[in-house]
Amino acid sequence: MLAIDISLSVNGRSVRTSAEPRTQLLELLREDLNLTGAHAGCEQGVCGACTVVVDGKPQRSCISYAGDADGASVTTIEGFDNDPLMGELRAAFTRHHGLQCGFCTPGMLITARDIVVRLGEVTPARIREELSGNLCRCTGYVGIVEAILEVSAGKQPAATVAPAVATAVRTAAPAAEFVEQAISPAKRPASASVAATPSRQGWTSIQQRLQIASSPAEVWTKLTDLKQVATCLPGAEITTIDGDHIEGRMHMALGPMKVAFKGDGNVTLDATARQGRMTGRGRDTGSGSSAEGEVEWHVLPGDADPAAASTLAVTLSWRLSGRLAQFNRAGLVQDVVQRLTSDFTANLERSLKGETASSDLFKPISFWSLAWAILKGRLTGRR
Amino acid sequence: MKPAVLDYERARTLDDALEWLAAGDGQVKVFAGGQSLGPMLNLRLARPAKLIDIRHIPQLRAIEADSRMFSLGATWTHAEIEDGTLEDPTRGLLPFVARGIAYRAVRNRGTVGGSLSHADPAADWVSTMAAIGAIIEIRSAIAPARSVVAHDFLRGAFTPQLAAEDILCAVQIPRFSPDMRWGYYKVCRKTGEFAKAIGACVVDPRLDICRVVAGALNGRPLLLSRTAAALQQDGTDKATALVRDEIEDMLATLDVAHRQQLAVAVERSLAQLNDPRRS
Repeated sequence: MLAIDISLSVNGRSVRTSAEPRTQLLELLREDLNLTGAHAGCEQGVCGACTVVVDGKPQRSCISYAGDADGASVTTIEGFDNDPLMGELRAAFTRHHGLQCGFCTPGMLITARDIVVRLGEVTPARIREELSGNLCRCTGYVGIVEAILEVSAGKQPAATVAPAVATAVRTAAPAAEFVEQAISPAKRPASASVAATPSRQGWTSIQQRLQIASSPAEVWTKLTDLKQVATCLPGAEITTIDGDHIEGRMHMALGPMKVAFKGDGNVTLDATARQGRMTGRGRDTGSGSSAEGEVEWHVLPGDADPAAASTLAVTLSWRLSGRLAQFNRAGLVQDVVQRLTSDFTANLERSLKGETASSDLFKPISFWSLAWAILKGRLTGRR
Repeated sequence: MKPAVLDYERARTLDDALEWLAAGDGQVKVFAGGQSLGPMLNLRLARPAKLIDIRHIPQLRAIEADSRMFSLGATWTHAEIEDGTLEDPTRGLLPFVARGIAYRAVRNRGTVGGSLSHADPAADWVSTMAAIGAIIEIRSAIAPARSVVAHDFLRGAFTPQLAAEDILCAVQIPRFSPDMRWGYYKVCRKTGEFAKAIGACVVDPRLDICRVVAGALNGRPLLLSRTAAALQQDGTDKATALVRDEIEDMLATLDVAHRQQLAVAVERSLAQLNDPRRS
């Protein structure tokens, strides 16, 4: 992997170095420049232990990278050794027992200094609000808040600058009119879908019912072709069927997050009751996440015409673990699976009518385009 | 953990960024403040082959206005809006919302356009822009420029109406009259955490705008049209009495606790309309 050349100013010293583009600014500071004051905590921008000043503003160094740090002016806690205000804060932290283990302290001090500079004299409530992005697991914050309160007493806030106003006045009509758009009565979520409450610990499920204009026997027969059924679920693929044992893959995209679960499972089919059940578990090694899933389908006589039409009841249940589960709030995955289920039933309906399944919502990662992107990068030597 | 191997390119002009993005075959990701994408990169949940940094494109920092509209470039940061670094056409709503987004260190870097493009249903700008009736401007190298009304911008969680080669360039905000009033309330477990529920309302009789939004749902925010109609015709009390019914009716698939949080958030945002400090 080729590194890129970057230059930046760190604690007033100009630094020229080369680093892989994926290098966190935090790593660059700690590993290459030996400035170990900023600490690596959560590495997700939540804990604040890595906070440094970039171009005059406190920022997370764990979610800034070598490329975008090029040209920046960075001040780490080490750069504040001779800063009078930081001196006052250090003394106040000591007096008020504003630290125990010290892991959060460099980030705390940088945030504390920003609070005092920006806001001047502050109330304890405002200090707590402003400190919400810096976690301390030792002190309970009391000493930290008291230290900042003491230092801020009598200080003036930074002068406010006059706001930037519109740089160009358009005389032509804007692209869109600001007449209140007639709001069509919002539609309820599709009545066919019901999000069930979790039946088992950590599991979520969604049910959908679908009316199909074919007899229950016909629908059931088509559904026994599992590979065909899998093509209706965007991103899913069954690679092997051996008796009741299956192996396959499931690609899912959640915005920029793309995961590919690879795994195996079992199928049970009950032709008498026209009920099927597929369970599976898989792992996405890239993100270190696992998923367990279950699809149950039941072909029932149709509501309108019990002989010539069918009702298909599908229940999708799942449980995620690992980093994907840690990152996502339950409702978001539910929204994705909800749309996935709607796509699945729509595709299934098309497939039963003999049309081909399609989806523009969920495009699985194309192996070839990925491989080509990597190859192209190698050939042009930019990676 | 550091991200999976990726390439980085800094765009200086919008045309360059659009061109590189269109040539990226879906494996390229726009990088603005990186405050949402960064954590996903570090967790390796997102593994783009290349990042295109749009933070240094002057065009995306443009602000343009006439008597009716105010166009805000996509890469203005939350902190800049919080601090009043630029003119506010919304009588205090945008700075108020900005101050409640995540943490100051994140606000110093995170951008309005980035937050909207990330399309987290719980993000403040998603609900706010829906409430004020903003229009989102999108450019691409392979298709004509287009606009999308903010309340339709999310297809679902993390799924905005943006193709892989699109860049959200600006947000057009109505220039509200001195009679404009607003309310904004969010339910959070912890300051700066993503909201469990958002209630937002905007009333401007002179512009004939009256909108009430329930946000931080599983997908796009919901315009409470019945509540808004009652607000316009009969005032705050009548509207407040309708909120719970409309939420129960429209969001029946959400669990009871979530519906309760949403009803409370919307009711409290409506109560703020009568707060003289805001008008």
